[in-house]
Amino acid sequence: MRALDQYNPITIAVYYLAVAGIAMLCMHPVLLFLSLCGALALCLMRRDLRTRTHANFAAFFALSVLINPLFSHNGATVLLVINNAPITAEALFFGATSGLAVLAVLYWFASFSAIMKSDKLLYLFGKLSPRLSMILSMALRYVSLFAEQAKRIKQAQIALGLYKEDNIIDRVRGGLRIFSVLISWALENGIVTAGSMAARGYGAGRRSHFSIFWFSWRDALVLCLTLLLGAGTLIPYALGTVTFTFYPTLHLHSAGALSYLCYLSYGALVALPILIETEDTVKWKYLRSKI
Amino acid sequence: MEILALENLTFSYPQSTRRVLDTVSFSIKEGEFCVMCGATGSGKSTLLRLCKPSLAPTGQLDGQILFKGTPLDRLSSRDAAMKIGFVCQQPDQQIVCDKVWHELAFGLENLGLPQKEIALRVAEMASYLGIEPWYDKPVSALSGGQKQLLCLASVMVMHPDVLILDEPTSQLDPIAAAEFIHTLKKLNRDFSLTVLIAEHRLEELVPICDRLIVLEKGGLLGSDAPLSLMPSIAQRPQLLASMPSAVRIACALGQKRYPLSVRQGREMLAELPAPRVRALPEQTALHGQSKALQLTDVHFRYARELPDVLSSLSLSLYEGETLCMLGGNGSGKSTLLAVAAGIFKPYAGKIEVLGKKIGQYKGQALYDQCLSLLPQDVQTVFLCNTVHEELADAKVDHSALPFDLSHLLNTHPYDLSGGEQQLVALAKALATKPRVLLMDEPTKGLDAEKKAQLIEILRALKADGVSILIVTHDVEFAALCADRCVLLFRGQAVSDALPRAFFAENNFYTTAARRLSRGFLDNAVTTQDVSALYGKEGTP
Amino acid sequence: MIYIPSARVRGVLSVLIPALLIPATVLAGALLLGERAYIPVSLAVALLSLLLFVAGFEQKAIGTRRTVLVSVIIALCIAGRLIPVFKPVTALVVLGAVYLGAQAGFYIGALSALLSNFLFGQGPWTPFQMLAWGLIGLFAGLLAKPLQKSKVALLLYGVLAGIAYSAVMDVWSVLWASGGLSPSAYLAAIVAALPHTVLYALSNLLFLLLCAKPIGDKLCRIKIKYGI
Repeated sequence: MRALDQYNPITIAVYYLAVAGIAMLCMHPVLLFLSLCGALALCLMRRDLRTRTHANFAAFFALSVLINPLFSHNGATVLLVINNAPITAEALFFGATSGLAVLAVLYWFASFSAIMKSDKLLYLFGKLSPRLSMILSMALRYVSLFAEQAKRIKQAQIALGLYKEDNIIDRVRGGLRIFSVLISWALENGIVTAGSMAARGYGAGRRSHFSIFWFSWRDALVLCLTLLLGAGTLIPYALGTVTFTFYPTLHLHSAGALSYLCYLSYGALVALPILIETEDTVKWKYLRSKI
Repeated sequence: MEILALENLTFSYPQSTRRVLDTVSFSIKEGEFCVMCGATGSGKSTLLRLCKPSLAPTGQLDGQILFKGTPLDRLSSRDAAMKIGFVCQQPDQQIVCDKVWHELAFGLENLGLPQKEIALRVAEMASYLGIEPWYDKPVSALSGGQKQLLCLASVMVMHPDVLILDEPTSQLDPIAAAEFIHTLKKLNRDFSLTVLIAEHRLEELVPICDRLIVLEKGGLLGSDAPLSLMPSIAQRPQLLASMPSAVRIACALGQKRYPLSVRQGREMLAELPAPRVRALPEQTALHGQSKALQLTDVHFRYARELPDVLSSLSLSLYEGETLCMLGGNGSGKSTLLAVAAGIFKPYAGKIEVLGKKIGQYKGQALYDQCLSLLPQDVQTVFLCNTVHEELADAKVDHSALPFDLSHLLNTHPYDLSGGEQQLVALAKALATKPRVLLMDEPTKGLDAEKKAQLIEILRALKADGVSILIVTHDVEFAALCADRCVLLFRGQAVSDALPRAFFAENNFYTTAARRLSRGFLDNAVTTQDVSALYGKEGTP
Repeated sequence: MIYIPSARVRGVLSVLIPALLIPATVLAGALLLGERAYIPVSLAVALLSLLLFVAGFEQKAIGTRRTVLVSVIIALCIAGRLIPVFKPVTALVVLGAVYLGAQAGFYIGALSALLSNFLFGQGPWTPFQMLAWGLIGLFAGLLAKPLQKSKVALLLYGVLAGIAYSAVMDVWSVLWASGGLSPSAYLAAIVAALPHTVLYALSNLLFLLLCAKPIGDKLCRIKIKYGI
């Protein structure tokens, strides 16, 4: 029993790469609609996003829908003419489809950001480049350390009578003052950190990488499913059995079994995290009820 | 077996002819607990860093350091990192990673150990040192004491043979410091780990150490068991000032023995003839009637869902008075200062500064010739390249300062010692000519000499009519400089008395001199009090 | 872990990749692949950037201090949000690069983009942001001498960096929103983003005018005192 964020970072990363990659790659309204439904359901279920973010995403969508017909004048069905340029229904639908893609990818990335907390990402980076992972890990620690120190600096400067926020100029000046104190502090104390790193053998040889994540049979299962379903979607798509043409007129081509395999595979892929989360909640409630 | 041997070590920094260390030779045996002491500038820090190859300062070095018979420069960098552990002053700056578990594994990753072995060593150390409950936490969620323990643990996982510590407890409060020293002693006892520690606060360290190494102006005064060195330390007032209270009392009384702990001190007093007068005369309050700062029923919390940090707190600071506020961690001391300085607004209660409600000071009026706060972390004050610019930034009037900074003017603030930084920050705090001065832990990291200087400065300020509120953990300092003491507990002032009465009443939260003389004397709270009553046939 | 043993090859790679290969990939991808080009382009850019990090791999002991300072400056870029109105990121990347070198400059730029997206949400735009800021740092490092000497040059660089950043990000927006890189759409994007670009360039200018000296002094002191 593991919730989605308890899986190994590699499993999670591969899953998101597959599901969002297909959404970016396939300009197909059916697949994109499936993708958006799944991503939205997952975000709502895990309550990862705030209302404002949803509104921003909707604005992005609207922008995509509107921009395309202004630049692309292909298509047979003319809706209206602006400045001698025809606005067509097909171009509008193309815009809507690419807006769908934008929206789906945005939601997948939002969910990815919410699940891949910093230590998971550092684990992934550590596999690629230990030095990079080290720099990011330190920087992450510094971000919270500096935020705390900035608060202390502000208090100290206020009580010395050297900081005020009466108007915008004072506030900018005060901000610069705090930042200046912070830079000195951060740079000078960074040298202490470097000493402490050297004292513990940093740079003395090849580093290994320690993490608290492990790879279980469930990770293997989810990883296999991801690859299988991803292939099930992409192979029929690459063979041209599922295509959608926008110009001159909208047309959906489907070629029997293979196209259904494509839709089904992607549908299942999209639903995978929702199943994992639901199973986790249901099992937990069941175990609780037995206590 | 000798684990560390220094042979005729002489060192000077580049572009300087002054010998920071001058032909220093001594050796340390395996399993010894060694304490190094000496005034600021005696070369302690330089010596310790020379013992750790990756931290060794650059400069002219003669003589050599042997680690288990091998010269340090012939040790491989891997061995040097692994066998010689080093912990320094600032816990926040030593920590590299953002998670506790990652910090513990950091050194082992550098050695390139396999995942499995790292997991085992980290788990072992986390259980032994009691780190398990916060293993998953981000480092920023830890207290100062926990951070320093983490630094120790992340060095210990590498299984060093010798552990070097440079003032590890100077940034900690006394309780966390005592716990840290206790952990060190436990490691030393349980694993025969060799420990070499330099520290200003020696009250707890000297009684438990096997060897005391005393440096004086770069030269070695002696390296031996503490008892054998005491006669020569007793000749030097500056060194003696940092020794445990028991020794200081014995020396003041002209005794030929050297008790190190409170227990040995009590044994000594028990053998001395009882003094004719058991009590010093009660102190009388010296302040006027008008109040410089008045807090009435103040309530404060950081957020609505959090508990009160200050609850129904009432406190007055009289004009011309030095008030010391004591209390443990989390008792709300620093918050109290921030509230009194107008940084945070209480949700209920009244604060008056010099008879006027704090809300009636408009704009910067509160901080102009009225009130000033010296923060705990004085590095939050510096933003310029030299002390001179730093003083100009706050428009400090040199001639009005009760201390001299002229020899530091061209130095960068970060090149100053902790005590000097404190003075520059104090100068900035005094620039607005405050009549109420608030100070947060002003003795943190100061040696005995700098503390004495601070007490002198406070007396001078008081003579100028400045009212001072000090928040501190340092009971010995409060006993010396306060006109009145208040104990803060869970956001409330629970006890309020003149220092002699205050520390005589307390049994646990009190000075070493009081713990030592309890039962023999009624109200002696400083070493001077004790020696005054015992000396000269009981007439103080 | 990939490791390139030859220092010479590392040196050549670390200049060649960001200066030539990455922009070439973006352009070629945009012009040749047409519709939905941003996926392969983003992937290629990400891979090349990674290769760049690997190419910059050095194991010298003195590197430790530089590594720490790079992460300090990255974190300061995020902390810089405490100043109202100004966004000091570009200025910090430029100053960091001028004092710590081209490679450190690229690291600071690219990683501050990555890190700020850690905290404010990753997206397909991440590689492009990394690239844009990384390049600003890299070129500042390469031009370190003139930029250190003349304040006018530094200010000019700040303004240009602001404009260049917008130009690179507009490529991304166009690729992303319309699938291909048509010149007319790109032009429209540039015009639409103009007020923002001007504001950004101006903010860089002002921040550098005010802070180049104090921040530069601090970096310079550290560099001299600790021999970095």
